[in-house]
Amino acid sequence: MNVMGIIFTNDASLGALTDKRTMASLPFGGRYRQVDFALSNMSAAGIRHIGIFSRHNYQSLMNHIGAGEEWGLELEEGGLEYLTPFSMSTTDIYRGKLDALHSVMSILEKSREEYVVLIDSAIISNIDLKHVIKCHIESGKDITVVTKTGIANGKKQLDLAVKVDENGEATDIAVDYVAPADYLASMDIFVLSKKWLVQRIKEHIARNLFHMDRDLVLGLWQKNAATIHVYQFPGIAMYNESVEEYFRNSMALIDKKTRHDMFGYNHPVFTRVRDRVPSFYGENCEVENCVVADGCILEGEVENSILFRNVTICEGAEVEDCIIMNDTVVGEGAELKYVILDKDVTVRPGAKLCGTPSNPIIVKRGETV
Amino acid sequence: MFFQKKRCIAMLLAGGQGSRLKVLTENTAKPAVPFGGKYRIIDFPLSNCVNSGIDTVGILTQYQPLELNEYIGNGQPWGLNKTHSCAQVLPPYERHDKKSGWYKGTANAIYQNIDFIDRFDPEYVVVLSGDHIYKMDYAAMVAYHEKHNASCTIAVRTVPLEEASRFGILNTNPDNSIYEFEEKPKVPKSTNASMGIYVFNWSILRQALINDEEDPNSSNDFGKNIIPTLLNAGHKMMAYIFDGYWKDVGTIDSLWEANMELLGKNPEFDIRGDEHTKIYARNSALPSSYIDEEARTVNCFIAEGSEVYGTVRHSVISVGCTIGEDALVEDSVVMPGVVIEPGAIVRHAILGENSRIGKNAVVGGAFKPNEKKKISVTSKGAVVEANTVLLPGDML
Repeated sequence: MNVMGIIFTNDASLGALTDKRTMASLPFGGRYRQVDFALSNMSAAGIRHIGIFSRHNYQSLMNHIGAGEEWGLELEEGGLEYLTPFSMSTTDIYRGKLDALHSVMSILEKSREEYVVLIDSAIISNIDLKHVIKCHIESGKDITVVTKTGIANGKKQLDLAVKVDENGEATDIAVDYVAPADYLASMDIFVLSKKWLVQRIKEHIARNLFHMDRDLVLGLWQKNAATIHVYQFPGIAMYNESVEEYFRNSMALIDKKTRHDMFGYNHPVFTRVRDRVPSFYGENCEVENCVVADGCILEGEVENSILFRNVTICEGAEVEDCIIMNDTVVGEGAELKYVILDKDVTVRPGAKLCGTPSNPIIVKRGETV
Repeated sequence: MFFQKKRCIAMLLAGGQGSRLKVLTENTAKPAVPFGGKYRIIDFPLSNCVNSGIDTVGILTQYQPLELNEYIGNGQPWGLNKTHSCAQVLPPYERHDKKSGWYKGTANAIYQNIDFIDRFDPEYVVVLSGDHIYKMDYAAMVAYHEKHNASCTIAVRTVPLEEASRFGILNTNPDNSIYEFEEKPKVPKSTNASMGIYVFNWSILRQALINDEEDPNSSNDFGKNIIPTLLNAGHKMMAYIFDGYWKDVGTIDSLWEANMELLGKNPEFDIRGDEHTKIYARNSALPSSYIDEEARTVNCFIAEGSEVYGTVRHSVISVGCTIGEDALVEDSVVMPGVVIEPGAIVRHAILGENSRIGKNAVVGGAFKPNEKKKISVTSKGAVVEANTVLLPGDML
């Protein structure tokens, strides 16, 4: 594939869940991390040269991705490159994506690929990037912005919102905008020619412009200096940009069609293999409407919940509408409703916690409650 | 190419047909038969090697090797694909001196791969078979072998006296040195059954294999030829007593039993283990499993990628299966990718990979606690049509 992939791992906005991790390494869907979707989308499209940006907290990310062998990226040529803060040349901290890209300009310029796909980690989907790239090339435009309908609702602030006419041509573009429902929301996936992008980055950085959405997309479009191709993705896109959205999107996996769209529609989603045994369901357990990863021991009652790897639910525990991450133990007789338990949490026998759908209680990694 | 000298390497005999597994091994070698929801039989000896610090494994294949070779691949799931490690599949091949061809027996299979072993110049070679379910630290066995300055050490387990005549029996002195080997004795003198796990000094085994090959009357088998010959030649041979779980899953009944022995709160075989005893497997990249609102899941294993809408009791459900609404699965082993359609009833069965049980079909039956259980089996990809019956003990 004549395309290089670049993944931004994003600063996180999910409170206690992302205190110590980037959006990219946020666990999702029982056995995944957010970044698995971007990596699998690229890998399935035949992209074999991927750079991953991380501003900080990248240790857990590197631990997860390793050399990228699960995604077929442990290659002699191309493969996976970590673009960590150590490779920055000019500034202390990336002020925007263009700044970040500028700091690795030599990698971009040296790479042999003709096109670049840029992806963020907060919005996940199972998208056929091969098709997106094909459409980009056929459009003859400078930038392809991948978008989704139904996300703009007059309440949610969008990083980048686009309005199109009946021919799908952009008629308005807005940044950090609480867009009305007739706007398309950017999925933070862009396709560009590498040569074109490199030239624009140089010009922008020279003028102290470093914001991808505002300066490159909106700015150039307004000046008629760039043509925009708006790709409308028909599948499911999950915007995990707040705790409430993350909770709602996780729970949506209980729906069969959503689950199948996210995990099997175009291609499998690969993740780090942990070699856990299958989950064991005990003599007296009652498990209903749950998404369950491997390695769990379930002895109690669990309903409408997402269980990650190696979770233990002891006898007499009642768990409802919860997200429970790896290696967490819920003790005998504990009662949980609308709770997100991070990794390695211990819930003492008999403990009771109750949140709400819009404001689930978050128990931090390693804590005992 | 650079070959690092190794103290110890393993040779895994994985070429057997496994004919007693009947339809389950029609198109696949026994070591590639699925086990325990997400494993294949060969994962156990391979993982034991890795957990014992053995990083070079030759895998001798012959019968229906396609699936097995594909499964082993470059050894990545077991970490055997690194600079100083390997999982090398060794099929029979043609040689200039005509001393080649199909593997005539277990000893001949190793004989034909002397060159492979010589490259690593090992002190010890561990010979394993690919049809047993167990967790064992081979490093401890090699240390025992070394400590006793033996030429060959054989792992043994105690079997009930009345069953001893089904096994190769090792008669030992009080210090566990072996003075006699009897293959399936009518009147067993001891209850030490060979587990088919051997540690040899490579120099001694190498010569024994060459001598054995020159004997036209030999059946080129470890149990029948190599072990008795070494013993008669006065070599020091030790029995290494293993008291952990071990199961030969060479028959339909034992394969079913071994799967059932994974279940329960305190199972006979704890497959879980810790970081040093875990079993590795090639991963199928399927999403988490889903348990529906109407599902019932009691005393069972359910692997990733499965969707359960019906009732599962005392069973092992492997990766990527679907158990339809109002379907019932009891006391059964459901191998990867099986679809059980709504209303079907499956009891005391092994359902082969990707087989399909049609709507309201009935497979197998129930038995009284002490009654001999007749296990129904479907082969890979078999279809039990809707509203039809597969009787207890029948195969499709």
